[in-house]
Amino acid sequence: MTAATLNRSEKAAAAERRRRRVPYLLLLPGGLWLIFFYILPMLQLAGTSLKDGSFAGGYHFSWEISNYGAGFTEFSSQFVRSITYAGLATLITFAIAYPLAYFIAFRGGRYKNLLLVLVIMPFLFPFLLRTLAWKIILADDGFVVDSLKAIGLVSHNGRVLATGTAVVAGIAYNFLPFMTLPLYVSLEKIDHSMVEAASDLYANPRTAFRRVTFPLSMPGVVAGTLLTLIPAAGDYVNAQLLGTPQQSMIGNVIQSRFLLVLDYPVAAALSFTLMLAILAMIIPYIRFTGTEDLVA
Amino acid sequence: MTAAAPPIARRGLFGEGVRRHLITFYALLALAYLMLPVVIVILFSFNDKNGKFNFVWNGFTLHYWKKAFGVPGLFDAFLTSLRIALISSFVATILGTLIALALIRYRYRGRAATNIFIFLPMATPEVVMGSSLLALFLTFKIQTGFVTIVIAHILFIISFVVVTVKARLAGFDRHLEEAAMDLYADEWTTFRKVTLPMIMPGVFAAFLLGFALSFDDFIITNFNSGQVVTFPLYIWGAARVGVPPQVNVFATALFVIAVGLMGLSVWTQRRRS
Amino acid sequence: MITRSAEAGLAAVTGEPSAVELVGVTKRFGDTLAVDSIDLAVDENRFFALLGPSGCGKTTTLRMIGGFEEPTEGTIRLHGEDVTGRKPYERPVNTVFQSYALFPHLSIFENVAFGLRRKKVGDDDVKRRVGQTLELVQLTGMEKRRPSQLSGGQQQRIALARALINHPRVLLLDEPLGALDLKLRKEMQIELKRIQHEVGITFVHVTHDQEEAMTMADSIAVMNEGHIERIGSPHEIYEDPQSAFVAAFLGSSNMADAVVVDASSGEVSMGGCRVHVGPGRLPSGVSSVRIGVRPEKLAVHHPGEATDANTLTGTVTDVSFIGVSTQYLIQTDLGTSMAAVQQNTGAPGFVPGERVTLSWAPEHTFVVR
Repeated sequence: MTAATLNRSEKAAAAERRRRRVPYLLLLPGGLWLIFFYILPMLQLAGTSLKDGSFAGGYHFSWEISNYGAGFTEFSSQFVRSITYAGLATLITFAIAYPLAYFIAFRGGRYKNLLLVLVIMPFLFPFLLRTLAWKIILADDGFVVDSLKAIGLVSHNGRVLATGTAVVAGIAYNFLPFMTLPLYVSLEKIDHSMVEAASDLYANPRTAFRRVTFPLSMPGVVAGTLLTLIPAAGDYVNAQLLGTPQQSMIGNVIQSRFLLVLDYPVAAALSFTLMLAILAMIIPYIRFTGTEDLVA
Repeated sequence: MTAAAPPIARRGLFGEGVRRHLITFYALLALAYLMLPVVIVILFSFNDKNGKFNFVWNGFTLHYWKKAFGVPGLFDAFLTSLRIALISSFVATILGTLIALALIRYRYRGRAATNIFIFLPMATPEVVMGSSLLALFLTFKIQTGFVTIVIAHILFIISFVVVTVKARLAGFDRHLEEAAMDLYADEWTTFRKVTLPMIMPGVFAAFLLGFALSFDDFIITNFNSGQVVTFPLYIWGAARVGVPPQVNVFATALFVIAVGLMGLSVWTQRRRS
Repeated sequence: MITRSAEAGLAAVTGEPSAVELVGVTKRFGDTLAVDSIDLAVDENRFFALLGPSGCGKTTTLRMIGGFEEPTEGTIRLHGEDVTGRKPYERPVNTVFQSYALFPHLSIFENVAFGLRRKKVGDDDVKRRVGQTLELVQLTGMEKRRPSQLSGGQQQRIALARALINHPRVLLLDEPLGALDLKLRKEMQIELKRIQHEVGITFVHVTHDQEEAMTMADSIAVMNEGHIERIGSPHEIYEDPQSAFVAAFLGSSNMADAVVVDASSGEVSMGGCRVHVGPGRLPSGVSSVRIGVRPEKLAVHHPGEATDANTLTGTVTDVSFIGVSTQYLIQTDLGTSMAAVQQNTGAPGFVPGERVTLSWAPEHTFVVR
């Protein structure tokens, strides 16, 4: 190699180094933001969860694992309730959203975009107002409750509001678009010729759905379920507006511990327990449905 | 010749025809269910309510529409939410787009880790994010208020921006940039004249999404707002003592404008093609 | 292995720099060797084709000429100037991409004018030149449309216009006709050739379609697994492939091993049958060679009516009527199967099972390494 080519390959190496730095530079601003305002607080929260003390006297780090114990003793009912409500709401949302998404994807035709807009439209309306509207819909002497009483689903002097049913209904309603859209995206991608191939191979419509369409929509099912279950588990708005303290969820507890009682260590411990519970649910779920690449 | 109905369609409890209509019926019912609360809130902006709470229909009136600005603090809260949404969505869109560019266009070490890193905020319940941020601000003695709200909003919007822009970037033809460079555009010019215009629709969609998410956010804002009142916070505070119908009025107005803008964009898109 | 064509050698003698010159160019992607130390010289005003199967390195080579990849080793010169480290926007070449890469957000006018705008050409000149170039590719009047509104063939011509308008000294084409249907492809082949002649610049065209290369190119470089197997005119490389790969890649050949009987007079023995190759065509110092003969060079006769020096008897096993010709598969008495193609002149053909004699001229036997 001559001196000229040596110089050139040095320059080429330098240019290559610069080029390799570009992605890191792009990631820097957003990455720093996430580190400072997500990772750091999370680490701090972890630290706080291991402190003891009070707002008045100050907090001291002391590996106070008993804070986590509180989750399992004092607030176990709220935890269980949160998982139950969120789980039920997710199932209900799924039952409503899947046929809706199927309809738009397979039968929508020219109106696909219009229908999607209709699904998203309610979201342009304040979430709190929509939840409050359920107070009107489920009012004690309203049309809905009267009909339910007539068919016997509700006892004659019972209510729907201020019960777990109302809270679940509220949660299920709020997250419907979060479930519908990923389902739609997944279903829409399915090549119709696969379904035709199934019927060519003697599958009736039910079997074709069970063995072809549904499995192929799994990525959407997982995404939709996660996008619904995770926020639902930590929700407290529905419980507060549509229920009573009897229906309080772990989100309510965390909120009150943080903002009212100012018991930061326990609140932090509860937060982490909630997150771990959620992770414990979704990791096997993702593994089971074989959609690891959804996340990465 | 006798006309025989296709035997397959008759099999089972529901024939093929019924099944088709069942799905349509179900879907329309679901859509109605989605719109019901919205319709009710809009309706109740015209309610001549009796007493403090606006839960029982009492008669039609335009009173609250005429006196839309009559409630102290409501319009300010509305404007505050608008300002926060504009700023936080703008910043988050820029930060998120840069991340999406890095993820899609470059193969670098730690790419998979970045994906998980971005996904984490979306997987975190808002209670936890809000409370952890509050704890951070308290530790560093940062006064909660407008700035902290914006910081919090930017945080949770970034992930959504990345996902939205990534989806749009995925189909981007790499050769387009090479073609631009082949035609004497250097890297910066290529970015300005080719890359940026092409990803604009996706970036704009992400901005709109961020705006909507920020405007409507309650939980995270609740933790980090200090004395500042946003539109959702106003509603929450008023819920206990009776939400004034003017709130419904504002929500309806915003809704109509948003729907109108969407319709306009769809219509112009239809026109262009 | 021949790596420079006679013409390139001539250019070196006359002192005219080649339009494109590659010296010892190598490209490695990690552990993979995509291009293995190739030397290439393309003369001015030539329609030059880089031909080869997928993965042979032809596209990588083209991209290195265009500046989209940097060679791991070696030098690239354009008209004598060393451009090896230079970016695409610093080179006087333009590229027509396989996917056309038309800018979807710009009008046809702005697409075609893109390069001129970067060079700060004045508005009036831009307008004039765009008009001229669109006329050249026969798409006048399309200025205001968007790429998505054009058909594949039209897009391809716009991509060509966008490149040509900049008066590059060399035009690089990366399998530009791949996405077109057969009829359109054939039309465009003729079009490209016409344009190249009319504009008078060097074209370097990458393709895997040997028929395309043979139709359009003045010189062809056949590549395989990162190196150049053969460079020459279509006629040269077809009739004298010199390598087994080229013999198989271009058209089809009947190949066989043979033992050298007399190197000076050019006689070999193919399984006991004497085959004349001709004087001076056998390499010296070898005892066995691999020879081949193209199916269209084999004449099929009734036994005893052979006309050429080399003959072989056998039985017809398969007859395929292709319209313009008939292909015969013959099981020779040596035990091998050979293909022969006869033009349909109207004369009666042969049927399976019939005994025939194949004959061919010595000069139609080629020797490969």
